[in-house]
Amino acid sequence: MTMTESPPATETQSVAPVPSPAVGLYDWISTSDHKRIGRTWIRASLLMLLGTAVVGILIGFEQVDASSVDVFGGDNSYFQLWGLYRFALVLMVAAPLLIGLAMVVVPMQIGATNIAFPRAALAAGWGYLLGAGITVVSVLAGGGWGALDGVSQDEADAIALTLLGTGMVIVSLLLGAICVATTVISLRTSGMNLLRVPLFAWSMLVACTVWLLTLPVAIANLAIMYVDLRGGPLTFGNPEGSDAMYAQVAWVLDQPQIYAIAIPALGIIASIVPVIAGTRQIAHWVMVAFIGVFGLLSVGGWSQPYFANTSDEILYIAFGLAIVLPVFAVIGGAAATLAAGDAPVGLPAAHLLGALGAGVILLAAVVSGAMKVIEPFDLIGTSAHTGLMNLTALAAITAGLAGLWFWAPKIGGGFMPSGLGRLVILDFIAGALLLGIPQVVAGFFDSPDLMVTDIDDSVVDAMSLVSAIGAVLVAVGALGVILALIASMRGSGDAPGDNPWNGHTLEWATTSPPPVGNFDEPPAKVVSEAPLLDIADEEVDA
Amino acid sequence: MFTTGFKLYFGIAVGLFIAAIVYGYSTGGGHVGPLTWGWKGGVGDHIGYVVLMGLSTVAGTLGLILVAFRDADPAAQAHYVGVDQLPSTPMVTGSVWPVVGAFGAGTMVVGLALHSAIFVVGLVICAAVAIEWSMDAWADRATGDPAANRELRNRIMAPIEIPAAGVATIGIIVLAASRILLNASKNGAVIWSIAIAVVILGIGTLYATKPKLNKNIIAGLVLVTAGAVLAGGIVAAVDGEREFHPSQPDDSAEEHSE
Repeated sequence: MTMTESPPATETQSVAPVPSPAVGLYDWISTSDHKRIGRTWIRASLLMLLGTAVVGILIGFEQVDASSVDVFGGDNSYFQLWGLYRFALVLMVAAPLLIGLAMVVVPMQIGATNIAFPRAALAAGWGYLLGAGITVVSVLAGGGWGALDGVSQDEADAIALTLLGTGMVIVSLLLGAICVATTVISLRTSGMNLLRVPLFAWSMLVACTVWLLTLPVAIANLAIMYVDLRGGPLTFGNPEGSDAMYAQVAWVLDQPQIYAIAIPALGIIASIVPVIAGTRQIAHWVMVAFIGVFGLLSVGGWSQPYFANTSDEILYIAFGLAIVLPVFAVIGGAAATLAAGDAPVGLPAAHLLGALGAGVILLAAVVSGAMKVIEPFDLIGTSAHTGLMNLTALAAITAGLAGLWFWAPKIGGGFMPSGLGRLVILDFIAGALLLGIPQVVAGFFDSPDLMVTDIDDSVVDAMSLVSAIGAVLVAVGALGVILALIASMRGSGDAPGDNPWNGHTLEWATTSPPPVGNFDEPPAKVVSEAPLLDIADEEVDA
Repeated sequence: MFTTGFKLYFGIAVGLFIAAIVYGYSTGGGHVGPLTWGWKGGVGDHIGYVVLMGLSTVAGTLGLILVAFRDADPAAQAHYVGVDQLPSTPMVTGSVWPVVGAFGAGTMVVGLALHSAIFVVGLVICAAVAIEWSMDAWADRATGDPAANRELRNRIMAPIEIPAAGVATIGIIVLAASRILLNASKNGAVIWSIAIAVVILGIGTLYATKPKLNKNIIAGLVLVTAGAVLAGGIVAAVDGEREFHPSQPDDSAEEHSE
């Protein structure tokens, strides 16, 4: 055979030929199996969650008594870790956790044998890990997103590294998003049109599209800042030292863009609740539409307050108010399905707790956001901004944890500990609400967003204390998640079976853990959004 | 003819286009400004107009992509190529190059911030990854037989990879060893050079006299030695060279000052 010969016709076969199962370190770093790649993303993001939560505690207790900066040893160090906490929570924890979950689950949900571009997904995972590592190390070395006391030459190198590390994280996230979105668009099994795509897969398609449309703008912001820092004279930054660098890219952490991180939370809620209820999702297409609307209203690259004040724009106000509607609609749809079904009585499963908790936290976030855009409340520039960011990101993370418990049999082959799971998720929900809501309330009392000066107000002090307790609960929850993950990896629990929750979508049609290639036989032609319920109905009819 | 996905996105695109024009006129747009994207007159409020028109363009583009690919519906694609069911896509084989590429990108990032030499190293790694990744991607689809694909790939790449890897390994070891020798004292450099030579000779002798020795042992010894030399080289490079020529009073400078 010469190399110029045409490829021989591939024999039509039931499933594609599969490589031997991966074992060992080399196979781990060279794998093309989407489940193994996704697990790398998930584990890395959970470790980042623990680290971020610890930084959150330090910031929380620093803010309890802002009259003196005790924990960090100076305003500038405080500012650097304050920035790290925010970017890490959103870009290095919430987004990678959801992408990792999607990389494992979405290909199975749509009946595909693998993710699209598995090598790119692997490169993106390691790129995220390295980018996050570079960012954290650079901040600890004196970098960060600017410097309050002016940028010295040594700090300039570290700051440059922070900017580039952040850029690397975003590029990696976008590469992962391309893989997930392409999978949903182009690898669906026979009969699965876009209205029949499972809601988590649909929400990931919407989320990845929004991220791909908006986050490149953040890369451009970072590039301008880097050129500014290196080339000078400072065009956009403040040479005397300020938070100007952070402010240029802060729109990623503010509304409407921050909501983009929580789009998959709606999909996870809408995937778990019908399974618990044991019935089809009521008005499935309405859920599809409202998840899409939520995504549309979270497109935020156009709202960059540093360059142009958009807070009094009618569009900004409309986006902030209207986004409450899809969240209410999706949560209402899920609640209606739960009421219409026959959910088991007793202690709710950890994943149901997580799904409902994520809904409550997200609702608190969008209501806070709606209040923030109402001008008489005067919340722009206050700690309400931090509260909104915390609530939205923690809603996404809580939903991710719910997904982790729900899809555990397909992710790792076994159950996650249910008792510990309930405790961890309840703790996490309580922590998120206690952390975020007091910050929003403190905003009404003019508590500033970056609080390094003391506010002589007893309400603000009380809210700061409650918020610090919330940060502790979140950190305890993060530690609990790591312990639960270790327990499940030891595999001491019962074998879960193929479909332990009586799931409705195709990921539950394969074994636990799924084989390489996911399905021994290609899934039957899909005729609705709940193919396994269709099969069950056919069997009942027969 | 028009697929469901196209209809959905095209409908969204038209709706947003009309909304952008209405918004443009209602916020002070010129006669035909909102219709001509600002070419003939103003578009009104820039932010709102750009957001709506941008979303319309994106939705329209997605609609065109979906109609071109028949909504990526397997049944429609199978009908298009005249078969009952599309064959499954072969699994992509594992590859270490994505991880190497990520490390190359990380090296470039660090180099961009700290030193141009590190950036060049990252660039070289990324270039090598681009070639290897492209070859792997081609080989995966060359024939229907994975073993034949692997053979084809190795036939092309092995004559390049093996000498290149050899040159790179020797170059790195020589560079690292030279940093150690330049950092060590005058007598220390002699001792280091003898020690390195003895270790290399020892491993070579072991392999020559016991060719049936477990390959993992040989590989482990080589890796540990190379790793130690590399680590020593990095530490020595960071620490800097020893002082070879004690500085002398600069007579010429004094002459100039006179």
